[in-house]
Amino acid sequence: MNAQDIVDYTKSLDCVHCGLCLRTCPTYRDTGRESASPRGRIHMMRSVAEGAAEVDQHLIEELDGCLVCRNCESVCPSGVEYNELIAHTRSALADSPHRSLLSRESMRFGLRSVLTSRSMIDLFALMLRLGQRFGMLSLAGTLGKGAENLPDVPPAAERQRLAPVHPAQGKLEGEVAILEGCVMPVFFSHVNRATVEVLQAAGRQVHVPKGATCCGALQAHNGELETARQLAKQMIVSMEGPRDQTGDLLPVVVNSAGCAAQMKEYGSLLAEDPEFAERAEQFAARVKDFSEYLADEAGTRVAEALATDPPQIQSPLTFDDPCHLCHGQGVRSQPRELLDSVHVQRVEIDESESCCGSAGLFATLRPADSQRILDPRLGALRASGARTLVTANPGCQLQWQAGVKRDGLDVEVLHIAEVLQRSLKS
Amino acid sequence: MHTTIPRQLQSILGDEGMIADKNRRIPYECDGLAFEREIPDLVLLPASTEELQACLRILHAAGIPVVARGAGTGLTGGATPVKGGVVIGLARMRKILEIDPTNQFARVEAGLVNVDITHACDDHGLFYAPDPSSQTACTIGGNVANNAGGPHCFKYGNTSRHILGLKIVLSDGEILELSEPELDPSGYDLLGLFIGSEGMFGIATEVTLRLTPRAEVTETLLAVFPDLDQACDTVTDIIAEHWEPSALEIMDQLTIQAVEASVFSAGYPPDAKAVLLIEVEGSRPECEANVAGIEAIAKRHGIMEWRRAANDKERKKLWAGRKGAYGAMGRIAPDLYVSDVVVPRTKLRQLVRQTTDICERYDLKITNVFHAGDGNLHPNISYDRRDADQMRRVLAAADEIMRVCIDAGGTLSGEHGIGLEKRDQMHMYFEPEDMEAMLGVRDAWDPSGIMNPGKMIPVRACNEHRPLRFKR
Repeated sequence: MNAQDIVDYTKSLDCVHCGLCLRTCPTYRDTGRESASPRGRIHMMRSVAEGAAEVDQHLIEELDGCLVCRNCESVCPSGVEYNELIAHTRSALADSPHRSLLSRESMRFGLRSVLTSRSMIDLFALMLRLGQRFGMLSLAGTLGKGAENLPDVPPAAERQRLAPVHPAQGKLEGEVAILEGCVMPVFFSHVNRATVEVLQAAGRQVHVPKGATCCGALQAHNGELETARQLAKQMIVSMEGPRDQTGDLLPVVVNSAGCAAQMKEYGSLLAEDPEFAERAEQFAARVKDFSEYLADEAGTRVAEALATDPPQIQSPLTFDDPCHLCHGQGVRSQPRELLDSVHVQRVEIDESESCCGSAGLFATLRPADSQRILDPRLGALRASGARTLVTANPGCQLQWQAGVKRDGLDVEVLHIAEVLQRSLKS
Repeated sequence: MHTTIPRQLQSILGDEGMIADKNRRIPYECDGLAFEREIPDLVLLPASTEELQACLRILHAAGIPVVARGAGTGLTGGATPVKGGVVIGLARMRKILEIDPTNQFARVEAGLVNVDITHACDDHGLFYAPDPSSQTACTIGGNVANNAGGPHCFKYGNTSRHILGLKIVLSDGEILELSEPELDPSGYDLLGLFIGSEGMFGIATEVTLRLTPRAEVTETLLAVFPDLDQACDTVTDIIAEHWEPSALEIMDQLTIQAVEASVFSAGYPPDAKAVLLIEVEGSRPECEANVAGIEAIAKRHGIMEWRRAANDKERKKLWAGRKGAYGAMGRIAPDLYVSDVVVPRTKLRQLVRQTTDICERYDLKITNVFHAGDGNLHPNISYDRRDADQMRRVLAAADEIMRVCIDAGGTLSGEHGIGLEKRDQMHMYFEPEDMEAMLGVRDAWDPSGIMNPGKMIPVRACNEHRPLRFKR
């Protein structure tokens, strides 16, 4: 592979080297190394493309160490498309001999074969639960060691799938399709149920298309761009299934910020695909984050559906912006508007737009690094005095739950859909 | 002997504190001035004054050049090695050690980011006044090294006016504490000497800063002009009539358009030829008097529009656009040369014209965004360093810009320092004896000459710098 193929050279030239991204980068703040900053990573990538540097394990390590939280994009005056730069290079280097064969193959297996299939995910969840219950993970060698960092799988009774259609409550105001997700039904089926109930209460008939499993975000961020493109096409086809009474395609409502951010970018992901380029653009325009859709389209109806007596939520609450909601989608005000319609005091947490260290597979693959990213955030949570932390992404929810438990804080970590569900009039 | 030095340094700093492999040293090959590049032989990231001291003892004994670096946001190549050697980054030393709201000072480590100080003392109604455009990234140590400025330094003065004390590690590892309890210490003002020494005297590791009480009222205003000349003349008249705003910033049309296309879009009208961003602080009556006086002048100069920010959110938005302007130029070309010259404020219109003419003559794209109140011009030239001919024209134009500003009674640098960028132009402003005297001062602080060699003072003979390199 020649150097120009490894790097999206044209995009790398957008960086004018001002350095305004440095302070927002969690890995730069953690290490103080400029090679672990957005500007530094772009600098190294450009050097590779210009033949001034050769790929080695140090470079791969710095690129792999990126959380892809995209905080840098929110402060980049030059508009560098960092997410696309790093996805391109990671994908080009996925098979690099500077990685161990085992890590290459287990990563590929997970991303290509497990996460892409509902039956494989269910099988894996079952094995993981058995391993966790009987303490057998340590016997499974390297793979088991990675799996030890995964959260506990709940019992089968809590791993329920959603029915394909859920009718609106009261007057029908519209129809939506939602994404059930790949790991959501395993770890967060209660969040999926909450999402449906709140949408129903807002007068929406909810469709759950079953034709696709995974949005491809983890693949795109971890060197499997081609797999991500295949998954995107399946998702588009699946979501073109249900239509409303007038025959129009439905808004696609997503309760996982990482997935919605990815799905909103299908247009550029499939821009070179003659069959899908246009469909992908149109699909991306229909994708809405859960809070974005509710606040923008159904704010009044939601407020009417909420009880005025204090719900079962510890006060005060705070909203911690998932990176792929604020930086990835630019959604900031809508979750706050919704939470302010719940009758619980809301406080702000310091640096709420800074990554919690979950970052897709990061927390699983690099638990020690992930913990160091979370530590200052836990400090900010303590300082805020909040007793409920609200998020909008499954990875963040798992990460915060683990951190709160480890530090013994009296804080409940909830998805925004759960907060609204608990606040509904009974 | 040299091959054992990295090992000795690593035993002091550990794995997290040293970068030896080439790829991870690449980001340290330049600062914001991207056309001067040299990869350092090693990068050291000490976590404490003591670690830095131990490293400097070793480097001093071996005669290895040392370049200090904060966040690498400088614009003159001050943090770029000239002939190899070691870059010492302060990015891991960013603790706030003490905040004393009563006596209005803070003591911080030198690697702390400028804006973090203001965040930390905000609840006390205090702030740290010097606010370079890069304040969300640049470090306080780098600010000290370059005597950094910023929009509000028009009212509050540059960094040197806000430093109360320093802990400095000298080239041989000696620690010098220049922290006096009095505001006017007896003896020579060594602090004044050190601030602006661009890493050639020693490395500051702790800084005691003056915190300033926030004004009762702050008003941010935007005057929109159909013509850049009129914006310049407005500033000249504001100064001449003795109004006292706290900041006066001009941006020209290309800058406005780049900012408006960016995440820092501030609502500047893209059809305007220039905007003047004005801030006024003080009591309510003081502010109103200033606003009225300045508005009258602006109207006399034919403004298209006069805006007053209604609240804090609008104020911040207007300022974010100004502060993101440099980065926004990445939309025009891959590289940006930010010139930094000072001219008499009675000649703003004339010199902005002249700098624009020079760039047009060299067929270069120029944008103007500058601290008009200080007469501190920043003619920004967008370029692509891969184009050798363009590079030659940029350097020639920069040289001419400095020449016309000095001829008009101005100076070489307002706030970015000299570094590599203006080293060879020092003779435009100083006589050989002046520079001889400066070297004498440098020798008093660092007789070994290992601290940031090859910067600021022109090289006069080819044997002057004999930096040692590691044998690899």
